[in-house]
Amino acid sequence: MVDLNNDGFNDILSGSYSWNNRERGMAGTFQVLYGGDDGFKKPVDLTGTDDDVLIIPAGDDNITEKICTRPTAVDWDGDGDLDLVVGNFSGTFYLFKGESNGGFAPEPEPILANDAPLRIPGAHSDPFLVDWDGDGDLDLLSGSSQGGVYLAENTADTKSAPVYAAFETLIEPNGYPQAGGADTPNAPAGSTRIWVDDINGDGKLDLLVGDTARIVTYPEGMTREQSQTLQAEWDKTTQTIIAELQAAQEDPQSEAYQEIMQRYQAHYQSRSEFILEESTGFVWLYLQQ
Amino acid sequence: MMTTRRLLMVACMSVAGGACAADFADPVRMEAGGEPIKVEAPGYAAPCWDDIDGDGDKDLLVGQFRDGKIHVFRNQGDGTLAAGEFLQAEGETAIVPGVW
Repeated sequence: MVDLNNDGFNDILSGSYSWNNRERGMAGTFQVLYGGDDGFKKPVDLTGTDDDVLIIPAGDDNITEKICTRPTAVDWDGDGDLDLVVGNFSGTFYLFKGESNGGFAPEPEPILANDAPLRIPGAHSDPFLVDWDGDGDLDLLSGSSQGGVYLAENTADTKSAPVYAAFETLIEPNGYPQAGGADTPNAPAGSTRIWVDDINGDGKLDLLVGDTARIVTYPEGMTREQSQTLQAEWDKTTQTIIAELQAAQEDPQSEAYQEIMQRYQAHYQSRSEFILEESTGFVWLYLQQ
Repeated sequence: MMTTRRLLMVACMSVAGGACAADFADPVRMEAGGEPIKVEAPGYAAPCWDDIDGDGDKDLLVGQFRDGKIHVFRNQGDGTLAAGEFLQAEGETAIVPGVW
């Protein structure tokens, strides 16, 4: 949240995966829900000083640079204007410089580290700028598709414009189970998105980490042990059917192959009789000591 | 909710005392209304900690992928968060386009 239009009310800034624009191809826009004394307005596209919708202008052969955006607004260069620092699918970062009239330059600059694009491990860059180390300048933290939290220290001598070192790992990733997730997760999984603030008011910066996780539950009346026994039997049957499919794969149009495939599909669906998986996202709090 | 105080040593390749040196307590799953906060499938929870209602304390907003909706968990001022509701904009559930 930030007061983008300087009207005294906080606004909500959001990225997006991609707009539905056939003429201009895929691109994640930046959306703002302007706040007012009667609540928030519906989201609108953030535009540049050319009145066109702000997007990262990568080519169609480089779509991951311009989709799955995640913006944050800060005074990057200390000139008193809010600038936009944005992440994307590919894991890099761009800067849309703020102009004195409150608008944003249409052409972003890539954010670099050691003369190369600053890039997180994994994908889905998620910038949050804050003075993490207390030296008076803006460091850059990010989540990642692979989980974890990463920190790029601002090594600039002045506060005019940040100079970033490459990312270091602040919180190790805990993995992103594609199937068979944890019954009761005890740490963030993958696709981490972060927020930094002093949550408990002790003067130290803490981390809020959102994630994407798969959790496992069992049908009513079934214990975990019973489920695991059925899972083991299911796994054996799966191997048998796959072996049959492989033996018949020379003629996938044959009745025999189709019959095996139908059995495989029915067998796969039977897994829900003993295990239920849910994809969701939690929010985790890391209190700094 | 904030119970475990055991120190979690963070992975950090920098020298001790550098920007990356930090100790955290074990992560705690945030709750609201007495239940763990969850977003709808497929997930992609994106948190924001700020004062959405102007009452002087910060609330938790959580964006999600499905339909581009935003959960609001209001700070009750006693260290707990109220059960969530979807953010409203102009009288309707706010939906950020381009997220589905």
